[in-house]
Amino acid sequence: MASTQHHPSHVLLSPAELAYLHDALLLVPPIRPDGRGPNDFRPLVAETGILPGANGSARICFADGTEAIAGVKAEVERTVRRAGDDTVYLEEGGGEEEDVEEGEEVEEKGKGRGEKKGEAAWVELTVEIPGVRDDDSGTVFLAAMLSEALLADGELVGRLWINRRFHWKLYIDIILISPPLSYPLPLLSLTTHLALLSTRLPRLKSEGDEDPFFDDDWAAAPYLFPRSSSSKSQPAPRPPITLLVMAVGNNILFDPSKEELAVADVALAVSVTSSTSQTGKEVTKGKNPSNSPSQSHRSLRLLSIRTIDPPSRLTPPGVANAANAAYGAANLNNLGNNGQQQKAAEARTAETEAVEGVWRAPRGGANRAVLAALVGKVLEKGGIVDEVLDALEAVDLG
Amino acid sequence: MPIKILAPKPPRPLHRPSHHDTSSSSSDSDSESDSGGAHLDADGDIPMTSHPSKRVHLDLPTTTSSDTSIVTPGELITSDPQWMRGHGTYIPPSTTSIISSVAGTVTRTNKLLSVRPLRARYTPEVGDLVVGRIVEVQAKRWRVDVGSTQLAALPLSAINLPGGILRKRTETDELQIRTFFAEGDLLVAEVQQLYGDGGAVLHTRSLKYGKLRNGVFVAVSGMGGGGGVVRSRRQVWTMEGANGAGLIDVILGVNGYVWISKHVEASEVDKAAGLNNMEESVSATVYSSQNDRIDVATMREIARLRGVVMALVENGLRVDEDMVVRGYQEAVEQAMLSDEGIEDVYLGGERGVRLAAALTGAA
Amino acid sequence: MTDRRRINGPPGETIPPFFDDADRTPEAVKGRSRPPNAIRKMFLKTGVTPSASGSAYLEISTSAKPGASGLKLSCSVHGPRSLPRSAPFSPHLVLTTHVKYAPFATRQRRGYLRDSSERDLSVHLETALRGAIIADRWPKSGVDIIVSIIEGDQERETSRSQGDEVWEMMNALSGCITVAAAALADAGIDCVDTVAGGVAALVQDASNSESKPSIVLDPVPSEHEKILAACCIAYLPTRDEVTNLWFRGDLPASDMELYNALVEKGIHASRNANQYVTRPAAHHPCRRWGDDEYEDAA
Repeated sequence: MASTQHHPSHVLLSPAELAYLHDALLLVPPIRPDGRGPNDFRPLVAETGILPGANGSARICFADGTEAIAGVKAEVERTVRRAGDDTVYLEEGGGEEEDVEEGEEVEEKGKGRGEKKGEAAWVELTVEIPGVRDDDSGTVFLAAMLSEALLADGELVGRLWINRRFHWKLYIDIILISPPLSYPLPLLSLTTHLALLSTRLPRLKSEGDEDPFFDDDWAAAPYLFPRSSSSKSQPAPRPPITLLVMAVGNNILFDPSKEELAVADVALAVSVTSSTSQTGKEVTKGKNPSNSPSQSHRSLRLLSIRTIDPPSRLTPPGVANAANAAYGAANLNNLGNNGQQQKAAEARTAETEAVEGVWRAPRGGANRAVLAALVGKVLEKGGIVDEVLDALEAVDLG
Repeated sequence: MPIKILAPKPPRPLHRPSHHDTSSSSSDSDSESDSGGAHLDADGDIPMTSHPSKRVHLDLPTTTSSDTSIVTPGELITSDPQWMRGHGTYIPPSTTSIISSVAGTVTRTNKLLSVRPLRARYTPEVGDLVVGRIVEVQAKRWRVDVGSTQLAALPLSAINLPGGILRKRTETDELQIRTFFAEGDLLVAEVQQLYGDGGAVLHTRSLKYGKLRNGVFVAVSGMGGGGGVVRSRRQVWTMEGANGAGLIDVILGVNGYVWISKHVEASEVDKAAGLNNMEESVSATVYSSQNDRIDVATMREIARLRGVVMALVENGLRVDEDMVVRGYQEAVEQAMLSDEGIEDVYLGGERGVRLAAALTGAA
Repeated sequence: MTDRRRINGPPGETIPPFFDDADRTPEAVKGRSRPPNAIRKMFLKTGVTPSASGSAYLEISTSAKPGASGLKLSCSVHGPRSLPRSAPFSPHLVLTTHVKYAPFATRQRRGYLRDSSERDLSVHLETALRGAIIADRWPKSGVDIIVSIIEGDQERETSRSQGDEVWEMMNALSGCITVAAAALADAGIDCVDTVAGGVAALVQDASNSESKPSIVLDPVPSEHEKILAACCIAYLPTRDEVTNLWFRGDLPASDMELYNALVEKGIHASRNANQYVTRPAAHHPCRRWGDDEYEDAA
């Protein structure tokens, strides 16, 4: 099959296969080709800390042989101070206390890292997929999607703040070992998540805004994302994960395989993270009192959603028997002229109406209700995201 | 549990399969050694090496006494001039020694010594029943992916044209070539002829052959290795689906492409035509891409059969009629005993391992 | 030896004069000049590039304050035309989209090669359009859609605009979708519906940080203190379907209503933008803004 594919997300299937797959996935409950339940992920093997030369690393492989490795490297970089920062700071500092973005007052008060605002440029994420050019749109889209999730809540970049003059620059490099057999997004996202979980930065010894120097003892290096939170009531913050969900009719499927994506009506990549209640998030707190951590094990936050162009639109359409010149031609002799005309009329209707058992590439967009249901299913309390986060949590950080 | 994340385990020292059968033929011995892979895969490190059994065999010291021993390229097989050189070997100039050119197992056919490679793409042979996918349509022929090193060719002259017995191919047929087979279409065909470069020429001039519909496709060869489809007496059969399903057709292409579909009875007209000239007539539905109505029970059992084939492959077992039928019965029994009942057709991961264990234990 | 060919600057460095504008306080700069449920006025004209099969030009008015520029987009559609011989057979129209910022379009000069954000925009645009076109009407052919962003909608004051790039990208994408839809219609390529882009955002206004965040259509980042979340939607009004949804921000997962409201507003913005595409097509070839304003009745 590898010889026939042009693009990682593109798969060549016959119209009859597509029609069969689509019908099977439309059933309630859907029958997935590999027999999984709609919410089930493919089993995967994961390990972390595999690259001694990196600050953090992880490897994940699927049963089909697809494998990804992510490495995180950190470098100290001088923070570029923008002109006008001080002006703004002074002007605002008089009137409002909490809105200070990078203020000394906050730092001195020791309000925690959440106040130390980072910049998007502090994280650089690259994705490499063998057999695909680096500047391929699909790869760029994947990288943009992953880094978008990492940057959306400012949680990660906030942790990279060293002092007002220096910060960590984080390079996250994800490499797929073999050409992917399915849309690689969930694999890449889970690998990144684990790599970030295992990332440690040297312990800072210097104080204030002086040139930073660090503890040589690697064993003392703290994790970028601490394993357990300081307070019991809140779960420790975690890097985001991006899940791929698709819908066929009203059925919602998680972690779709390549074949399933080929008949998807709509596919979404949804990025979520488990929340940390910070002072910076007072907005949502005020708005939604029900969002208290006591209610659930962890509260999720929605970071990003992107529509994935389902490859189903590019699939070859089937031909209804009525419109098929090669169908039943053996018997045409008996039908005569009358039959020919009737056949032509049938052919015309076949072009406009859906015929059972004949594959038609979907047209148009996604139903609004289905879109909302997809997102709702992902964000469900105690739902799939929770399970995935639990499972990732349980991975031993080597 | 929607997600299962396993930790990789260090490979255990391999124990030889206890049920090793030394008197088995070459294909059997191959599959027996594969059953070792079933145990290895239980370690959870499935994807790291699709065929761990093979890799571990490589690590073993080559014991010449065993017929499952592995030779590597450059390894001397014999210096005895009585042997003849077969596939996968070469004889250096001015010597009589036969040296392996691939990594694999030595097989002996009378005086012919050949090495079967551990992983290889499909090598077509005349008469093979193959399942292929059209990847390119040319003016007078199709190019078909059969999992070989070369795309196979299916000439327009090698298919049964609709509209008459032994009709001559016309220009209209050439213009309408996509109405017979288009890109992406799956077909079952027979290898008619081989080119010198290993490319195959296919034909579908039989009622048995033609476009595939009403089912699902599994590529077994992509997994590589000795597991997978082996040439056997019957590559195509119809079996009874359990749990109220109808009849199910299974086509195991020799090239490792498998098609599992609902069985469709030939219509009366076709039968009548078939009586007159079985081999040359063409059924009305042979070029159809419209699926018939398939009931849920049949769809579920087709999915279960697909799961069985995948489980066999992932656990390094051979795929043939006997294994698939027995595996299917085992899977049905396991599903009945499980909590989810017969609706649950999932056979990946641990369940596949359990299925494989049950099959090899019974052997 | 002095260079006589050009006028040289004075030796040594000088500091350009800086005139402090006493009137310009941050409060005066900020603020939205239109109701929260109104999008900015647009100017849309089709058929601007005679050599292309279809083309359109879209200009979105600047917000009232000085120093900000509007969005100016030009789109040309080339095709459908036959695919090159080497290309594999396609039963569909092969759609290729290119989005390129002109080097001078943004505060920071863009290179001539497309960077990753432009490629990202191209993929979004492709997703949005692919749902709209009827690709099986044009087998074996390809169409190239090229959108040039002549002027990006960016705040000129660097200090205020940190982190706004992503929201500006959303605005640019919505403009790209709208202008490409008009150009597709101009090129006579079959579409199931006229697609248009719309952006809605959840904003926190400066005046009182304790206040409830509100949802606005067509947000201009410089007009709001902080954008908490935004979504860009490509919407097919008559079919009531969404071809592309791009959400970014930080919302509590427990608050689905907020998310749904945001999407609803995005659809609303898209509906409004859609009228600019469909009305001139129905009446006359071009249309100027300012005759009337499309506002939300609700």
